[in-house]
Amino acid sequence: MRKFDIIIIGGGHNGLVAASVLSKKGNKVLVIEKNENLGGLSNYVNSLSYISEEVLKELNIKIEKDINENYVSALSDDLNHTVLKITGNKNIEILQTNASESDQANFFNLINKYDLFARTLRSFMFNKPPRVKSGSRSDIWQLFSMGFKVRLLGKKNMRELLRVIGLNIADDLEDNINNNTLKGLISSEAVIGTNLGARSPGSILNLLYNQATNNSIFRINKYNTNSFLNSIREICKKNNVEIETNKKVEKIGISNQNVNSVLLDTGEEIQTSLIISNVDPKTTYLKLVGAANLDTDFIRRTKNYRTKGTVAKIHIDFKNEIKINNLDTKYLSGKFVYAPDIKYIEHAFNDNKYNKLSSNPCLEFYINKNRLSANVYFIPYLISSSHDKTEILSNVKMILEKFITENQILSSAIETPNDIEDKYNISGGHWSHGDMEIDQLLMMRPFYGSSQYSTPINGLYLCSAGTHPGGGVTGINGINAAKQLLKDKRNG
Amino acid sequence: MGNSFSFTKPLLETPFHERTYEACYNNDWYRWAGYKIAREYSNTELEYTAMRNTAGVLDITPMHKYDIKGTDAIKFVDKLVTRNVTEINSGQVMYIIWCNEDGNVIDDGTVFCFNSNHLRIFCAERNLNWFSDTAIGFNVEVEDVSDTIAALAFQGPLTCKILNLLNVKDIENLKPFYFDKFDLNGCKVTISRTGFSGDLGYEIWCKNEDAINVWDSLFTFNRDYKVLPAGMNALEMVRVEAGFIQPNADFMSAEQALRPNRVRNPYELGMGWLVDLNKNYFTGKKNLVNLKKKTLTKKLVGLDIQGDKPAIGSVLYDKNKKEIGIVTAGMWSPSLKSNIAFGYVDKDHMKIGSKVFAEIYHPEELEYKKIWAECSVVKKQFFNPPRRHKVPAEI
Repeated sequence: MRKFDIIIIGGGHNGLVAASVLSKKGNKVLVIEKNENLGGLSNYVNSLSYISEEVLKELNIKIEKDINENYVSALSDDLNHTVLKITGNKNIEILQTNASESDQANFFNLINKYDLFARTLRSFMFNKPPRVKSGSRSDIWQLFSMGFKVRLLGKKNMRELLRVIGLNIADDLEDNINNNTLKGLISSEAVIGTNLGARSPGSILNLLYNQATNNSIFRINKYNTNSFLNSIREICKKNNVEIETNKKVEKIGISNQNVNSVLLDTGEEIQTSLIISNVDPKTTYLKLVGAANLDTDFIRRTKNYRTKGTVAKIHIDFKNEIKINNLDTKYLSGKFVYAPDIKYIEHAFNDNKYNKLSSNPCLEFYINKNRLSANVYFIPYLISSSHDKTEILSNVKMILEKFITENQILSSAIETPNDIEDKYNISGGHWSHGDMEIDQLLMMRPFYGSSQYSTPINGLYLCSAGTHPGGGVTGINGINAAKQLLKDKRNG
Repeated sequence: MGNSFSFTKPLLETPFHERTYEACYNNDWYRWAGYKIAREYSNTELEYTAMRNTAGVLDITPMHKYDIKGTDAIKFVDKLVTRNVTEINSGQVMYIIWCNEDGNVIDDGTVFCFNSNHLRIFCAERNLNWFSDTAIGFNVEVEDVSDTIAALAFQGPLTCKILNLLNVKDIENLKPFYFDKFDLNGCKVTISRTGFSGDLGYEIWCKNEDAINVWDSLFTFNRDYKVLPAGMNALEMVRVEAGFIQPNADFMSAEQALRPNRVRNPYELGMGWLVDLNKNYFTGKKNLVNLKKKTLTKKLVGLDIQGDKPAIGSVLYDKNKKEIGIVTAGMWSPSLKSNIAFGYVDKDHMKIGSKVFAEIYHPEELEYKKIWAECSVVKKQFFNPPRRHKVPAEI
């Protein structure tokens, strides 16, 4: 029987990051990936808007900046589009809009406010979250310093943060802005990838949280995802991490609450005493670990962890190069958002509540010559049935026809959350391995009893997006999980 | 136990209601799981005396009954409870408790093994949700069959004799904590030698449509034996004498307690003997291992109290008048001729023979009499006659 110091289940970016950190310390590491290609869900992301200093420092890598100037176009039915230019991460200019002067000024005030709050969140975002009631001094200190950082905002801003953090995005926008396109644009950033509508409480928190992880309110192209992934892969290679693809872990072998092996679908059993699972928490606990080894309360929390995916991915190939009506071609390199107003988003979300696909969905898309890649929401994950994909496509086409004329669709491909679940073994096909809502964040991510990357099973750790700080290609989850493992190993 | 609720839906009537209604001279009903159960038929002491000297019949239909069916049935129960049930035989009954992840007791009950693929759990509180969540990952189906089975507790020294007279074959050879199928007055019934009275006694499980027939047959020989229907008040008396504790009376079920320090672990309840830490993983094992190593800060013990005034709701003190605990159930025991109670005491007074003091407020004609009574800590099981365990049972 083969034997490894540490086995990492799942070759997504967090798994690879964890492998690089651990192998650097001289551990014999094996990464097992179900698919042919490594990278997992990060393959869906063309570019990143931010890679944190912590990751760059820990892995000792340098990533070339891809693009420094970004455009975000909010499409409007009357073809009176709004275009923003973003230089660096935060320098936002409005290039064209139908919004009034005062609306524009209020828009910037709002963006600056959110930016300030997001920076506060970010200051404790990338650390291991403290546990509540653990009694450990470091946890108490960390909780205290989190509170202190919020207090540092000053009285007025702290009050404002505490006021809006549980609010819905629509309320805050309607208090400040009149222009529908601008309202739709910010709302769409607050709800994409979640089970929240513009009027759902917690959508502002989600916006701030995303802003904190991406260091930008509009997720923009800055770093090439592939160069990030390649450099991690190189570290793994250099440190002799063994990577086996096309193999699926069926079960984690456990005796007396200690990890002792993994069982592959090939029938092979590999011995180990330490495992990091890059698989989402629900699948890890219910399928790999098995309910028999876990307390009923814990099973209950696992079961109730919300993982309903809501975004479908569509690629459409056109015959000719794509042009958007009434929009300058130089903006085509940027991001397009079709979420014309709050009411539209809320209606799209309504269908999601009843597990139906939105007949008028919101779109976020990028154009690369003839190819259009879109995130379509809300297309909910279905438990025991599947969506009519042609219906989703025709809904999307109907929207695109408003902006793309004199062109012809050659082919199209679609992946619903159900497809993503099958392909990457993520329950619910959720982008972030679970909703990023207040009860599933920080020390509550994925849920009580499983925070700080450790699990009730000795020697088993989690590093997926289902852990703090959640989804997005950050690599933080992987680093923190690896550090936690090393710390526990040191302490015996 | 005042029921000052206003109900939009009237309480359900058990299949025995036609008879219990007639017998319930006081028309005093207790609400149990949505059913009407007599609290007192005519006189609690009389009903108690019947249970201790001849036989008493209790309607226990509202008891929750959960069928566990499937190839993993035993594995499932083993994961659920703190005892090792993997060795359970067909026809055997086991007393079980189950805990949450913190090792605090949720409820107690009995499990009946029909065969390795079919078990049935009986308990006083609703547990379907807990069982269903525990069943995740096991090849079992948990079904609530509470409404399909009528049940009577037939408790007292003459019960075996009466069943024998009713031509229930071989009933005297039924061992304690075993059950079997029997013929009772033409009805197919399941009889188990179990009960809540701590005496010789049986529990009779039958179909709803046979209920009246079964009820009537138990009173057939009343000219000689004076069997009485007994209410919940009488049951409360016998169960305290027998040393049986009740969730939400002597301890708060971990699933229902709102205040974090109100929950109790098996060691605090004196149920450590039910916890097997060497068996396969079960819910709460991790914490119970730690709890066992710790010294207890409080424990539920039996109290033998000076005087004859029941110490209901009394606060317990040490000799320096420092508060150390509280009485959860207390009564004057007519059979034992002593004043007994269950109470929590602190770590210095857990040992059998320790002396504590109870402050008893006894109402006497519109005035409270305050009594300072010395109590000694004793075993919770106050009443345990040899006939309870005797096989064959006395006919």
